[in-house]
Amino acid sequence: MSATSRSKAATRERVESWTGKSVPRKEDGRLVQGEGSFIDDLGMHGQGYAWFVRSPYAHARIVSVDPSAALALEGVYAVLTGEEAREMCVVPFFQIAPGDGARIEEWPLAVDKVRYQGDAVAVVLADSRDTARDAAELVEVEYEPLAVVVDGVEAVEHAAPVLHEKAGTNVAWHGVYDYGDIDFALEHADHVIKIDRLHFHRFSSTPLECNGAVVDWDKGSGVIDVKSNIQMPMFAAMVIGPSLGVAMNKFSFSSRDIGGAFGNKIAFYPQIAALALLSKKAGRPAKWTEYRTEHMLSSTHGNERTFLDIEVPVMADGTILGVKARAVDDVGAYLHYEPLGAVIWSQVLTGCYKFKNVKIDFTTALTNKCPVAPNRGYSRMQQLWMLERVIDIVAHELDFDPVALRKLNFVQPEDYPYQTPNGCVYDSGNLPLSLDMALELADVDTWRRRQSEMGTGTGKRIGIGIGSTLDSGTNNFGQARIVNPDLPFSGNGEAAFAKLDLYGEVNINLGTTPQGQSHETTSAQVAADILNMSPNDVTVTIGFDQSHNSFVGFSGTYASQFAVTGLGAVMGATAKLRDEILEVGAFALGAPKDDLELRDGACLVKGDPSRSIPFIGIANLIYTNNAVLPSELSSKIDLNCRYVYVPPFEVPDVERKMGNLTLTYASQIHVCVVEVDEETGVVEILSYVAVDDCGKRINPQIVEGQVHGAVGLGIGAALYEAFEYDEDGQLQEPSFYEYHAGTAMDIPDIRTGNIESPSPFTPNGAKGMGEGGGAAVHTICSALQDALGKDGAVVFDSHNPWERVYQLLQSSQGDEPRGVRVISREGGAA
Amino acid sequence: MLLKSVNYVRPESVTEALDILSSNEGAAPLAGGQSLTNVLKHRVASVDLLVDISALSELRAITRAGDGSLEVGACVTYDEIDHSPDVRAGHVILAREASHIEDQQIRNRGTIGGNCCLSDPTNNLPPLLVALDATMNIRAVGGTRHVAAEDFFKGYFLTALEPGELLVSITIPPIPVGGGAGYVSLSVATDSKTIVRAAARVRVDGVIEEVRVVLARVASVPIRHHAMEEALRGVAPTAELVRAAAELIGSDVEPISDGHGSSEYRREMARVVARRAVLAAIEEGGRK
Ligand SMILES: Cc1cc2nc3c(=O)[nH]c(=O)nc-3n(C[C@H](O)[C@H](O)[C@H](O)COP(=O)(O)OP(=O)(O)OC[C@H]3O[C@@H](n4cnc5c(N)ncnc54)[C@H](O)[C@@H]3O)c2cc1C
Repeated sequence: MSATSRSKAATRERVESWTGKSVPRKEDGRLVQGEGSFIDDLGMHGQGYAWFVRSPYAHARIVSVDPSAALALEGVYAVLTGEEAREMCVVPFFQIAPGDGARIEEWPLAVDKVRYQGDAVAVVLADSRDTARDAAELVEVEYEPLAVVVDGVEAVEHAAPVLHEKAGTNVAWHGVYDYGDIDFALEHADHVIKIDRLHFHRFSSTPLECNGAVVDWDKGSGVIDVKSNIQMPMFAAMVIGPSLGVAMNKFSFSSRDIGGAFGNKIAFYPQIAALALLSKKAGRPAKWTEYRTEHMLSSTHGNERTFLDIEVPVMADGTILGVKARAVDDVGAYLHYEPLGAVIWSQVLTGCYKFKNVKIDFTTALTNKCPVAPNRGYSRMQQLWMLERVIDIVAHELDFDPVALRKLNFVQPEDYPYQTPNGCVYDSGNLPLSLDMALELADVDTWRRRQSEMGTGTGKRIGIGIGSTLDSGTNNFGQARIVNPDLPFSGNGEAAFAKLDLYGEVNINLGTTPQGQSHETTSAQVAADILNMSPNDVTVTIGFDQSHNSFVGFSGTYASQFAVTGLGAVMGATAKLRDEILEVGAFALGAPKDDLELRDGACLVKGDPSRSIPFIGIANLIYTNNAVLPSELSSKIDLNCRYVYVPPFEVPDVERKMGNLTLTYASQIHVCVVEVDEETGVVEILSYVAVDDCGKRINPQIVEGQVHGAVGLGIGAALYEAFEYDEDGQLQEPSFYEYHAGTAMDIPDIRTGNIESPSPFTPNGAKGMGEGGGAAVHTICSALQDALGKDGAVVFDSHNPWERVYQLLQSSQGDEPRGVRVISREGGAA
Repeated sequence: MLLKSVNYVRPESVTEALDILSSNEGAAPLAGGQSLTNVLKHRVASVDLLVDISALSELRAITRAGDGSLEVGACVTYDEIDHSPDVRAGHVILAREASHIEDQQIRNRGTIGGNCCLSDPTNNLPPLLVALDATMNIRAVGGTRHVAAEDFFKGYFLTALEPGELLVSITIPPIPVGGGAGYVSLSVATDSKTIVRAAARVRVDGVIEEVRVVLARVASVPIRHHAMEEALRGVAPTAELVRAAAELIGSDVEPISDGHGSSEYRREMARVVARRAVLAAIEEGGRK
């Protein structure tokens, strides 16, 4: 029995519109019964099992790699070393970076040097995973350790060891984003708040399923067949294709179910390239299933960003005029997708706020740490967190009510569409209303009362926090040119096929690689509305397959865009299909097209249901009975309709770093109440509320699921999860023993609310919302700030385990420098 | 291989198990396997012969004696402890702590004996057993001996067991009238890695008559804090006096620093958890 038929009974009713309903997920039947096909479930005939040999050192010269002992082990097919891989490649991987960064050489395996703990120096193929692992231990690598740099600021501002000699510097990218006149604002504001340093820490979303791939470089056809869980396959192909010396049409990427990705699975293309070469060398497919510790050491982490010398001009009434800061983004040892993070944050340059003057001096720094790659909220979350810290610190230092201060500075409902200083356009929203709703759902008035009653001496404090954030979705890839003007990228898009198959089945396939975002369900919902049938009767191809799904260069699942790009494509393709069906129906029924309608898998004459033809009849005419058709029909119609949704973008102004960088802006306003134990720093979450505005919700339950996931990840990041390195570049949290990912026991019940401000720019009023903008990280930090109270310390880090909270509580009592100063202009109200 | 190939036997009796263990140098007992198999998987220890003792009925009994003392077989699982009426009758705290060890899968297999014999400083039960003044009953081919829990834990992954010996059961004396036990952990998150913890047992009769305070995660093994105990003996069981006694935890303990907490933080938190554990023990005693 198929998953679809299992849930049939539940949704057989007739509805006005499937869009907007919490239709049960098509995916759930197979997933909750353990019948999904994840990467480790897939294989190829004759495959060997791969195991990577990884560096224990963070920075070292590779003196020699000797695979002879490994090769002598029974069952070992081949060993590929970095040097061999380099010889088999045409050029190093394509770099997005310009200038010095462009000279970075990355090969499928490390050559000459390793640059972080976990850097791969060789890969073994054997008859079992266990043999491969044993053999990997036998590969003898001699290293000559080098000095290590693990701090981004140190890497670029001090005499630190250089990771990539060819680049000659650890600065992979540098640029200044300057809008309005921040210096004028700083000179004339009533107050200037100066914050020495804010630090957004390194963590990841640790998907349940690690990376994996089965790769076969077929000798006969020259085709590289890649079954994997990579989430942006065409990007991977673009990066590694030139290195491997193969054309795009020699790749055949496919994926089935993916057990979580969060952006992390964009960047394991070096592993795929290494596996391709290994397969070529061994003459058989290579299967690799990443180990958890391997994932934590060498897959990818999120961007760590340090903000320095932050200055904020504020007027006496609380109006914030702007922000000035330096940002150093620590991206680890190689540029994977980076330095795109150096521009992507500017989609949310001013966050939820209206100020006009901004100057951010941005540096992308290389360090001897695991390379970063997009991680849920990629690059924007760091900026949004900094802005929320700024708002709370301003409120704290100048004694403003954090709610009133936010409302005063928010982009107002009447401002939409609102253009930011760098030319981004916020499409719609209602931030003050969202905030009010969140405060009410959290019953903040009652908590404020309890907070003041609690008083000193109880050993407990209550803190109430707000996180206002944006989830910018549907990138304009033209922003890549702000990083590198020579890149031939702009716009965005997604492709879909809608077709009627031989027996009249409706089938949709598209270029996305879902990892829990329910694309099968929502695609079926929107297609069902157009064809006026049940979504149960619409089949959406599971997963992605380059050989038969439709795709474009931007295809994949990332950056909060499916509801717009993916569904935009599905809607366009299905509308085309509807038109073709009607045209064939008109011929078959002998009635004008305009008199026809579709209903439950048939085409019928309006008002005369006795005159109808089922979809199977339509399909019959096109596929197997076409001699009865007039040739102008049979030559025009094939019931295979492709549509590419292209969002309305222009190429940004690279010089001024101006342009509309994303199409939609969903907002998330979260409120939480925490109780802090003064003696230990332990934080307990007493209440958590999330109010979401992502425009038109296609399926409210799916939206809610995404909100829950984002809250869980954010709470985990704020309180438990961090990837930290010691001074030798050794990762301190290489497994779940050390890295505590928040579990169901740690995450409180989440109360949700929502507002629907439809986007005027999208085909369905929807906005991307899956990433969530890191709201929970901002909110927890804000609540801690509130708990620290007046004259308390400043929450300067996004990661606040108990010990750090304890230290903040302790330093609140002393009068040590707090890292914050207020300079008030004479005459300005204090 | 994930696990290097290893021989496996399942003896029929403790006597047979002891014979095998004493005549094979590379043999090790396998109880719940929740640590040992991980150790083997990570290849940090090598064992030639696993002697599976987990099903031996002699090691699987829980008996409550007439005086209220409890004897728990070494291979009783955490889940069985949690659900045992005999344990709950007089030693609720043991059931409660067993019910909090990691997750249900581990509780279904992990054993009280394995939890102790591993002597991992992060394990839950060793400090509790020291606080409860338990006795470890040990058998070898030559006979039986008894070691106080306090003397059983010798260091990181090191116990008083000699090669060829098996821990067969653990005897826990009754918690006397007016007495109670307390156990407080400071953990990274819910039921997760522990930063520091304390276990205490007290008997109050107007004043504190007997007291044991045990700290864990401040040294390689659970340690009794004798100075704090001394300060508590004979004084009224008040919050202030307990606080004052806990302040004696100072530079005499030198915890490690790791990703979950610095040495200084652990030391300061040791005072907090020790005080809270003693207060919980006093409160429990008062309720009875
Ligand atoms: C993911 C994970 C998280 C965990 N977290 C915790 C935690 O937070 N707290 C906690 O307390 N524990 C934790 N554990 C460990 C768990 O409690 C183990 O069950 C325990 O450490 C060992 O008990 P076992 O019965 O599984 O023993 P085994 O793993 O079978 O044996 C452990 C050691 O003791 C020896 N041994 C066992 N029984 C005897 C005996 N009767 N006589 C002599 N030697 C013996 C073995 O030879 C071996 O050296 C965790 C385990 C895992 C896998």
